[in-house]
Amino acid sequence: MAEAIRTEGLTKTYKLLMQKEPVSAVSNLSLEVEEGEIFGFLGPNGAGKTTTIKMLLGLTYPTEGKAWVLGKPAGDIDVKREISYLPESPYFYDYMTGSEVVDFYARLFGMSTKARNTKVEELLKLVGLHHDGNKPLNQYSKGMLQRIGIAQALVNDPKLLFFDEPTSGLDPIAHSEIRDLILKLRDEGRTVFLSSHQLSDVETVCDRVAILNRGRLLKIGKLDDLLHGSTIEIRAQGIGNDTIEKLKALSHGVRSEDGAILISVGESEGVNHAIDVIRAAKGQVLSVMPKKRTLEDLFMEIIREVNN
Amino acid sequence: MTTFVIAKSTLGEALRKKILWIFLLVALGMIVMSFSFAEFSMREELTIIKSFGLGIIAIAGMFISIILSINLIPAEIERRTIYTILSKPVRRHEFLLGKFFGALATVFVNVALMSVIFLIMLTWKNHWQPDFAILKAILMIFFQLELLTTVAMVFSVFVTPVVNFFLSSGVYIIGSLSDITEAMARNKDANAFVRGFYSVIHYLMPNFANYFTQNPIIHPEAPVQNEWAYYGKAIAYAIVYSSILLIVAVVKFEKRDM
Repeated sequence: MAEAIRTEGLTKTYKLLMQKEPVSAVSNLSLEVEEGEIFGFLGPNGAGKTTTIKMLLGLTYPTEGKAWVLGKPAGDIDVKREISYLPESPYFYDYMTGSEVVDFYARLFGMSTKARNTKVEELLKLVGLHHDGNKPLNQYSKGMLQRIGIAQALVNDPKLLFFDEPTSGLDPIAHSEIRDLILKLRDEGRTVFLSSHQLSDVETVCDRVAILNRGRLLKIGKLDDLLHGSTIEIRAQGIGNDTIEKLKALSHGVRSEDGAILISVGESEGVNHAIDVIRAAKGQVLSVMPKKRTLEDLFMEIIREVNN
Repeated sequence: MTTFVIAKSTLGEALRKKILWIFLLVALGMIVMSFSFAEFSMREELTIIKSFGLGIIAIAGMFISIILSINLIPAEIERRTIYTILSKPVRRHEFLLGKFFGALATVFVNVALMSVIFLIMLTWKNHWQPDFAILKAILMIFFQLELLTTVAMVFSVFVTPVVNFFLSSGVYIIGSLSDITEAMARNKDANAFVRGFYSVIHYLMPNFANYFTQNPIIHPEAPVQNEWAYYGKAIAYAIVYSSILLIVAVVKFEKRDM
């Protein structure tokens, strides 16, 4: 399958006043996104997600490294005809009506009046704003603005879409509709580069994910591969710090919750071993529960590991 | 085409800015008020009205140009509208020129509105005899404002709106004192450093004084030699100077991280 996006050693540093050392926003990022997939781009605030998207769109220039989008250098004007971008908390000219905003973006693609009229109607219907198209944007709620943002992002039938927090500020119904829309876009053969904090959304819709922290790529791969294998969680109480240290050595993680200690282990042998350790320390096993590893577990594990 | 689309949206947005309408309405009010001067002879009265009216158009136009232009680029970045626009097939220079022409169109609309009211009032005061010579002064004011709009817009690529306000106002004041800076540059009593300093200021700063043509129009007994050559040169100067500034802005804007 062809690549929709490729980066090689992409780096962005900023020089700040009063600071000798430049601040690194993205560091040596190399990744590939295949055509037709939904690619999740994850990371805590300040991880460098938006900076990376801006470099891929040609809004910001890399300090080092290169990026290609749909086979051409990032920022190429021809590529921009085939991509689109929905920024986080988008803002549009609020004196315009919903229809005028979509029409404005359609004009930037040089579309004819007839094509624009059809497109505006079609997109407003798609995002559920066909009854509000004549209202000025300053009367729109945050969720409606997000929908208009999605409509403008689809105005050129893009092959590749960059969505930065597309479900931010949406109610549960709209949230679910946007999730379905992203899946529909993939089914139509489009590529979606999805940056989001909504890990459950990413887990539901993405084929592959990359996890970024402090500008560095920590993990990349297929979601199925990254989340393979379930864990077993042992809930215990009445054990001391020495025992906790022993349990840490033979488990994926130990944490306390509601006065109990939770120990995550990978396989049945590990369960028996952990239970033996707890019993030897005269602790009490409260429950043993199998647990499917979620993207949130993986994300938290990776970020904690790095921060420690 | 994209430049036109962006210019149109800039004009549409600017015409909805309350602060510009406040300047415009105050200016129109003052123009109308100036016609209540009654204690002078007819000839003196017309001279004062012309002088006052053109002065109001120039000052209101100056504030409108600066206030509009200092926010042109920073507001787009702050509101992040620039991200969705530049991620479409829009070249950075097309965006910048679109913003410039949109701002210029706004200045034109404002000057035109003030001028129409002024001309109607003036014609009424002059027993319905129109004075088309006043249009030449208004044309000069427009080109002065075109130059000022460019200066403020170019600064808006480099600095914040507050800094830009003082920078653009400063350039306008110094550029309006071109006769003084020229005299200082030629002052044989001053030392070489002072003469050099004023020479640099005089030749580097846009010459806004070129466009103060009210006096010969108000006092037709003291006509300008080769009037059309003078206006032609002043207009050409504004266009060339603005083009150079716009090239500087485009070069800087192309390299800028958004």
